[in-house]
Amino acid sequence: MDGARTAVSRRLAGSGLAAAIALVTAAHVGSPDTFFEGRAGPYGIRVIVRPPGVVPGLADITVRILSGEGVRSVLVLPLRGGRPTAEEPPPDSARAVPGDPRLFSAQLWLMEGGAYSIQVSVDGTAGAGRAIVPVNSIATRRLRFATPLAIGLLGLGAFLLVGALTIVGAAVRESVLPPGEEPDAARRRRSWWIRLLTVPLLALAVLGGKRWWDGVDVAYRNGLFRPMRVTTTIETAGGTRTLRLVITDSLWLGRRSSPLIPDHGKLMHLFLVREDQNAFAHLHPVMQDSSTFLAALPPLAPGVYRLYGDVVHESGFTQTLVDTVRLAAGGGTWRPSDADDAWWQSAPPSAISLQRTAALEDGSTMTWMRDSAPLVAGRELELRFTVKGPDGRPASLQPYMGMASHAVIARDDGAVFVHLHPAGTIAMASQLVFALRQPGDTVRGRLGQRIAEEERRTEHGADFCGTPVDTMHQGGLPAACSVVSFPYAFPQPGAYRLWVQVKRDGRVLTGAFDAQVAAAAPR
Amino acid sequence: MSSLTAAATESRAPASVTAFPPHIVAVVLAATSVIVGVIWDISWHRSIGRDTFWTPAHLAIYLGGIVAGVSCGALVLRTTFAGTPEERGRTVRFWGFRGPLGAWVCIWGAIAMITSAPFDNWWHNAYGLDVKVLSPPHVLLALGFTGIQVGGLLLLAARQNADEGAADAHAAAHRRLFTYAAGLLVANASIMGIEYIGFPNDAHHALYYKICAAAFPLLLAATARASRARWPATGAAATYMAVTLLMLWILPLFPATPRLAPIYNPLDHFVPPPVPILLVVPALVIDLVVRRGPESDWGRAALAGIGFVLVLLAVQWTVARFLISPRAENFLFGAQRWNYNSQLGPWRYEFWRVAADPLTAGGVVTATAIAVASTRVGLWWGAWMARVRR
Repeated sequence: MDGARTAVSRRLAGSGLAAAIALVTAAHVGSPDTFFEGRAGPYGIRVIVRPPGVVPGLADITVRILSGEGVRSVLVLPLRGGRPTAEEPPPDSARAVPGDPRLFSAQLWLMEGGAYSIQVSVDGTAGAGRAIVPVNSIATRRLRFATPLAIGLLGLGAFLLVGALTIVGAAVRESVLPPGEEPDAARRRRSWWIRLLTVPLLALAVLGGKRWWDGVDVAYRNGLFRPMRVTTTIETAGGTRTLRLVITDSLWLGRRSSPLIPDHGKLMHLFLVREDQNAFAHLHPVMQDSSTFLAALPPLAPGVYRLYGDVVHESGFTQTLVDTVRLAAGGGTWRPSDADDAWWQSAPPSAISLQRTAALEDGSTMTWMRDSAPLVAGRELELRFTVKGPDGRPASLQPYMGMASHAVIARDDGAVFVHLHPAGTIAMASQLVFALRQPGDTVRGRLGQRIAEEERRTEHGADFCGTPVDTMHQGGLPAACSVVSFPYAFPQPGAYRLWVQVKRDGRVLTGAFDAQVAAAAPR
Repeated sequence: MSSLTAAATESRAPASVTAFPPHIVAVVLAATSVIVGVIWDISWHRSIGRDTFWTPAHLAIYLGGIVAGVSCGALVLRTTFAGTPEERGRTVRFWGFRGPLGAWVCIWGAIAMITSAPFDNWWHNAYGLDVKVLSPPHVLLALGFTGIQVGGLLLLAARQNADEGAADAHAAAHRRLFTYAAGLLVANASIMGIEYIGFPNDAHHALYYKICAAAFPLLLAATARASRARWPATGAAATYMAVTLLMLWILPLFPATPRLAPIYNPLDHFVPPPVPILLVVPALVIDLVVRRGPESDWGRAALAGIGFVLVLLAVQWTVARFLISPRAENFLFGAQRWNYNSQLGPWRYEFWRVAADPLTAGGVVTATAIAVASTRVGLWWGAWMARVRR
């Protein structure tokens, strides 16, 4: 994690005046923006929320109308999860971005830390609809003074200090003299003495201000978001390896954080990525007690692995628990602790390079449908993949944990990690929290139970492709689901690997791709 | 020496020194604009909750800074490069430039205000949009607009002192404006202390009286000492009360809608400031003691300090009981108006912090000691202001 933190701590280009230092983000690592693609009634929309990294702060939101015509208004309203209030404030009207009639933007006031639900309402000739986009409001970065601003403020500050001394001097020397009279030597001397005595007073005031500022800064740094601390160990018994992950954070042990709820039916989605990115696993550890999770380890190659554990709290707050663990050689037999566990290993190592088509385990292929344009950090993308069976015809995909597909994107240094679905980076469970929460949900776990029921209900529905596929508006889509797409923007330049997981004929298949992302050209 | 006498005689012309020069009018208007803006801004945050730099309240504050800064800057340039010897004789020097002392303090205040704007913007980006009134950039802003008010007071002091002996309308207006400017400073002090002395619900804890004792006798005694009007401290206190009451009655006439969740207390009009402290009564004591009290300043300070605290206690302790009662929930006293994000409860009708910080006999003694010291400093400051000629 230290490596990841250092890497993420690289300077990001700030907004004109200042440079920011990003530390961590809650759900996902190094990828603070929230992406959502789904429906608001009759309209297909893609929402991107760029958080301010500070609380309270202003987040930028853009809403792109992907399908549906005649949109008259797009309203956005951030609500802090689930607290009953007498009245909701009026939503803000998102303005059409000049030059792009289907793109709307606004600012969101996120005043408190924690889980927010952003209500996006679209109204137009086709009718009205609403979508809920869960967003974490957390402080993640420290802002440094940009040099020009620092120089300007220091200059003005120095002028104010010297100016104050000059005024004191003039007051003593001349202010009470009758008009026209020149100050005598005694007055001038006195003026010098008083100015000399004022210097320590001003210095004291400046030092006091500095101490105050330092105090604010320390308090702010202590309030920066950190994912809950975990410890991970590997236990070998009877030829099987088990990963034991224990949440050791006092916030969790002291029950000061709300309980976890299942997302796609799992309390934790744990991803293991070997440091060289040539081995990957997507596991679903089983909760053994209130803070211990166990998962049977697949026969992954030995090495150091980065661990990313995605969890969702009952409050709607999502976070990624991070750790590293060293796996020794020898896997033994693997009896998955969860039927949806899957793993992938590149054979031969690093053979994937920048190819567009990946061969899948069952002989089918997965192709990244991208044009030849280079990938650029910060640019909104639709990552599209088609799966074809061994016979070259579009494959018929099955829901994998309720979704058409799961994707993981990680930078080679581990500083960026994100777990994506066709619906974006949001956790479906958080969305359900805000949709299903009732005023009586004061009993711990009750909401989670209802969410699990709701997830089971929708998973068996026939429309698993419904949400994601409906919004895949481009081109003729086959009736069966063989194309998956993910809304995303690479947060930083660098070398990335993407793992895209789908399910076909009851098997979870993982396709891996590499991507080289360039820095955005300075505006 | 002869030129000195000539100048002095000139300043003691039978009539007062001309009418109001434009820079004095500008600075007094600027100081008013700042106070109105600050009260409006606080109301904005209590009613609407969120703002941009361009709210009318912010514009009123910064307009005050710009008007004061530009008018005094122009005065300085004119006096330095095109002033008559007589005009230049009424100024002090600042790095080779010439201007009245009050003008320099105004310019300093305007620059402090301008400096605070980018600093505050950075602060918001770095540590979050402020939910607190007190932050380093806000203190710089407050120092800036306090500078404009003090500068205005000094400009008027110099005018008033130059009028000495004159009994015409101009001289009377100078005296009245001096009292008014002092009243704005009192209002300023009451706003700075809003977290502790702003609400009548605070009027039963010890810190309330200690803060009042520290802030007000200083300003009122200085006014009483420096002014040549008849009841200057009382006038300044009345100005503070009048400005606050006007805002209390005017603000709720305008519609406002909360724009931030959570809204616990839906409202549709601006939340006004609470009823001001009944400062005219203890101010009367200060006027009386400064005019008719003992000869020595320490004697005056002791008498005025003790009198101020006892009278304030007698008045405010009882009046506050009424002000926090349901009987004050009407247009006149506005006690029914609370923040949009207040979760209304019995606390509205209770005195706050009385359990943690009750007013004991020891507390009264401490407050009195503070008031004596504050008055003494005020008398010293006022004595100097009474002599300011430039």
